[in-house]
Amino acid sequence: MTEKNKRITPYQILCIVILVALAIFFLFPLYWIVTGSVKEKSDIIIKAGESVKWIPTSVSWDNYARLFKSQTELFGMKFPMALRWLFNSVFISVVAMLLTCITASLAGYVLAKKRFWGRGVIFSLFVCAMALPKQVILVPLLSLVSSLGMTQSIAGSLFAVIFPIVGWPFGVFLMKQFSENIPSSLLEAARIDGAGEMTTFLNVAFPIIKPGFGALAIFTFINAWNEYPLQLVILTQSEAKTIALGIAGLQSEMSNDFGLIMAGAALAAVPIIIVFLCFQKYFTQGITMGAVKG
Amino acid sequence: MNKKRLLALLLTLAMALSLAACSGGGQGGGSATPTPQAQTPSGGDATPAPDAPTGDQVEIVWWAFPTFGVDSGYEQELANAFMAANSDVKVKVETIDFQSGPDALTAAMGAGTAPDVLFDAPGRIIEYGNGGYLVPLDDMLDALKSDLTSESLIQTCTGADGTAWMYPISSSPFYMGLNKEALEAAEALQYVNLEGERLWTTEDFVKMCEALRDNGPTTVPGIVYCGGQGGDQGTRALVNNLYSSSIVGEDGSWNIDANGVKALELLKEMYDAQSIDKGSDMAAADELQKFQQETCAMTFCWGTSNAKSYATEDFTQISVPFPSDDGVPELEYLVNGFCVFDNKDEARAEAAKRLIAFICDDATWGPESVKRTGAFPVRASFGNLYEGDEEMSLLASWTKYYGPYYNTRDKFAAMRTQWWNMLQRVFDEGNVQAQVDVFNTESNKDAA
Amino acid sequence: MATTKAPQRSLVLQRRETLVSYLFLLPALFFFVGFVITPMAMGVITSFTDASLANGNHGTFIGFTNYIRLFQDPVFLKSAVNTVIIVVVAVPTVTGFSLWVGSAIYKMRAGVRSFFRCVFYLPVVTGSVAVVVVWKWMFDKYDGLFNYIIGVFGGKGLAWTGDAKLALWCIILILFTTSIGQPIVLYVAALGNVDSSLVEAAQVDGATNLQVFWKIKWPSIMPTTLYVAVITTINSFQCFALIQLLTSGGPNYSTSTVMYYLYETAFRTTKEFGYADAMGVILAIVIALFSALQFKVMNGGTTE
Repeated sequence: MTEKNKRITPYQILCIVILVALAIFFLFPLYWIVTGSVKEKSDIIIKAGESVKWIPTSVSWDNYARLFKSQTELFGMKFPMALRWLFNSVFISVVAMLLTCITASLAGYVLAKKRFWGRGVIFSLFVCAMALPKQVILVPLLSLVSSLGMTQSIAGSLFAVIFPIVGWPFGVFLMKQFSENIPSSLLEAARIDGAGEMTTFLNVAFPIIKPGFGALAIFTFINAWNEYPLQLVILTQSEAKTIALGIAGLQSEMSNDFGLIMAGAALAAVPIIIVFLCFQKYFTQGITMGAVKG
Repeated sequence: MNKKRLLALLLTLAMALSLAACSGGGQGGGSATPTPQAQTPSGGDATPAPDAPTGDQVEIVWWAFPTFGVDSGYEQELANAFMAANSDVKVKVETIDFQSGPDALTAAMGAGTAPDVLFDAPGRIIEYGNGGYLVPLDDMLDALKSDLTSESLIQTCTGADGTAWMYPISSSPFYMGLNKEALEAAEALQYVNLEGERLWTTEDFVKMCEALRDNGPTTVPGIVYCGGQGGDQGTRALVNNLYSSSIVGEDGSWNIDANGVKALELLKEMYDAQSIDKGSDMAAADELQKFQQETCAMTFCWGTSNAKSYATEDFTQISVPFPSDDGVPELEYLVNGFCVFDNKDEARAEAAKRLIAFICDDATWGPESVKRTGAFPVRASFGNLYEGDEEMSLLASWTKYYGPYYNTRDKFAAMRTQWWNMLQRVFDEGNVQAQVDVFNTESNKDAA
Repeated sequence: MATTKAPQRSLVLQRRETLVSYLFLLPALFFFVGFVITPMAMGVITSFTDASLANGNHGTFIGFTNYIRLFQDPVFLKSAVNTVIIVVVAVPTVTGFSLWVGSAIYKMRAGVRSFFRCVFYLPVVTGSVAVVVVWKWMFDKYDGLFNYIIGVFGGKGLAWTGDAKLALWCIILILFTTSIGQPIVLYVAALGNVDSSLVEAAQVDGATNLQVFWKIKWPSIMPTTLYVAVITTINSFQCFALIQLLTSGGPNYSTSTVMYYLYETAFRTTKEFGYADAMGVILAIVIALFSALQFKVMNGGTTE
């Protein structure tokens, strides 16, 4: 990786030019959302014959004020509805992340390191279900969680979104890959020392698969955050909505208030981008380690 | 069934556990803790849910389409007034929109989390009623019968078996909106009749569109939106009026007749001549937005509530009826009303009925609510609420042009889907008769 | 499948191991069986009934009627074709393009490399919902960005999502932006792992860059390429939010996919849950086949 480029060839220049152009294209929607959220109305709507205002001529927080106007209660305090949506998104993502990390690491560990009856069948089942889009079970899932009474309360319906995400076997698969790295000799040694299974897992296996946790955590977090179809059908009460749902609702309800929509979109996009940038390293690691293992 | 129960029990147990584990974050919102009257699983034969403890508040949820105007806050005002008078009921207002709201309603019904009260129009309400999701309102409608402004309103509120599902509050016609300044700039205002009832003809409509096209004050003269269901009554009214046709055949089935074909052919010709545009990816809300932004100079989905939601100071919006060949329009109209969902809880249903009676019949709030919808009362006893309002007396004069109401007919939902897809095909592929034939067969098809 | 390899261990020990394993598996199995397998089974059962909103979700058994109807339903067939088009177009372009980006940036300085990797990954992170409003504006026929740019150069604007011939391509374009992030990360890593001594040896022997790529790098990134192809395929099958928010499957079902049509049938138009579930079952079977392929690819054809 440290090989030095002696000369810059025309091809490399071309590459750079194309890459930069693409980067601009990819970043543009985000740029537009963030700037749009602080634009005045006259800067956002382009009428026929007018030119596009690439840069806001003035900065106004009006759009955010309108976004936060609608109030609700959270923990007994007055709270803007939009932030409640954001809270729901964070709640779903964090809980899904924690539960997935626990269940997947336990399951992945035994699938990789134990020989037991039914292992092949279970693992095959996990792998087959891994690729299925959650949407195919959308309709029956809805009747399941409603017959369990989960949709009756706000918290219940949030968990109704969380559980299928936790149940999705990708995490198990990823943690199995990581667990393969645990030397069997270490486990054997622990056993000879008379350590219990749980102790062995926590003291021997866990330190080795720890890097996998970072990867799995961030992966699940972002997956849960963007799990739109499930949220769409399960979370129908406005206080149970996630930020994505809330924004989608705003887009159709207030379709002629672009500033408001942009502010909402910014609220949906910016926090998750910050999370991503902070944990970027784990993320790249997770994607690669889960997959490249040829 | 038994296994399912067991599984359900197990899962609920686990859920309760994890809830307890995460209770720090889990208890968001006032209603997070399951209410005691939480519904029993839809298994049905379970022991009846314990009634709400006496003295406890009944909480009901009201979902409102923006019929009182978008973001007006009036729903909350009403709820507060109602709660002040009925301390045993807590009303939670949630606003929904016409784009995603209908999907959310279906999902909520599937999940057993339907609201208690819905403010909507007959199209959906009757569908839900026929599906067995609503509480019959016969007692309320019977009491109202003698006071209704028109006998035909009863028909709009009742389902296939004659049960009353909707409690009506107000009614108003759908019509067209025009951009006066744009028409002036295009010298097209001469084709529009601004006298009396403003009736006008198909011929003048075409001329107006052509003038708009030639002089181009707006990007396009008008947009026949056909990207979805939202506001599709507007395009139906346009087509049905151009050559005085109907989409209901003599035998009661969905049927576009020869005159309807002629109207569609005219629109297709106009589209080819660019005196009108199609909006294959637009619903009424998109078209209204374009009208507000002066991208197009007319809207086919003007009505009392849209006139409020899409008001602007940039130009003068004028209301006209739909043009027709004989100059006598047959207008579609809206009936606003409420329904009560059957959430298997007597107390909630009773509270919900009290709420809608309060909204519609209270001596002060009733007339105020009607006015907030911007429409005309269906209760004769309310008299004329808009004394001296020129625009409203114009609209009132159109009520005599109301056409037959077909939104509660069998397979209405199937027909709607066929409608906008048919329009798209007419514009894209031409061959109007063939597209109409598809519409006529598919709309009447029995669901498997 | 994988038979338990029992070395010289006592039956007791083996039984104990099985018990312990299942205890460890229990939490994962609980969520998996309860919220993935159970609904799946329920879906299969409902797909043989005529359950719908109109009959209060209490369907009666109607055998294979839903499945037979599916294959006679022009909209379903159209949606299936669209789904196939999306997959067939997206997979090679995403794979090829991300390979190009990957090979263009993997030798760059670490900071620059991670900058580009980040930029291309951002659309994956933000998801479709937040940015779709911007795309909607860019594709707007009257005052959208693309037509504005075309107008600046004196061209005539297009209808984009309003044009039955173009709409699917608009969807594919957005899908493309949300799909290439992961493959790029994978390729950067894979190319970094290529044995550099082999590359240097080849260069000493006078091999051109192109030869080095095809003869040395390509074979060693082959597993990554296969993996990328499979995940992109699965990703493309799942494309839903975009369509729901941008085109509602239109115009004239030109952007309807099986996934979207399922949703539309269940929640928007006729609300026939049984019929929608039949679509889900078909889709699940097709994707399961791809999943099996993935399993084979990643494990080199064995189950161990």
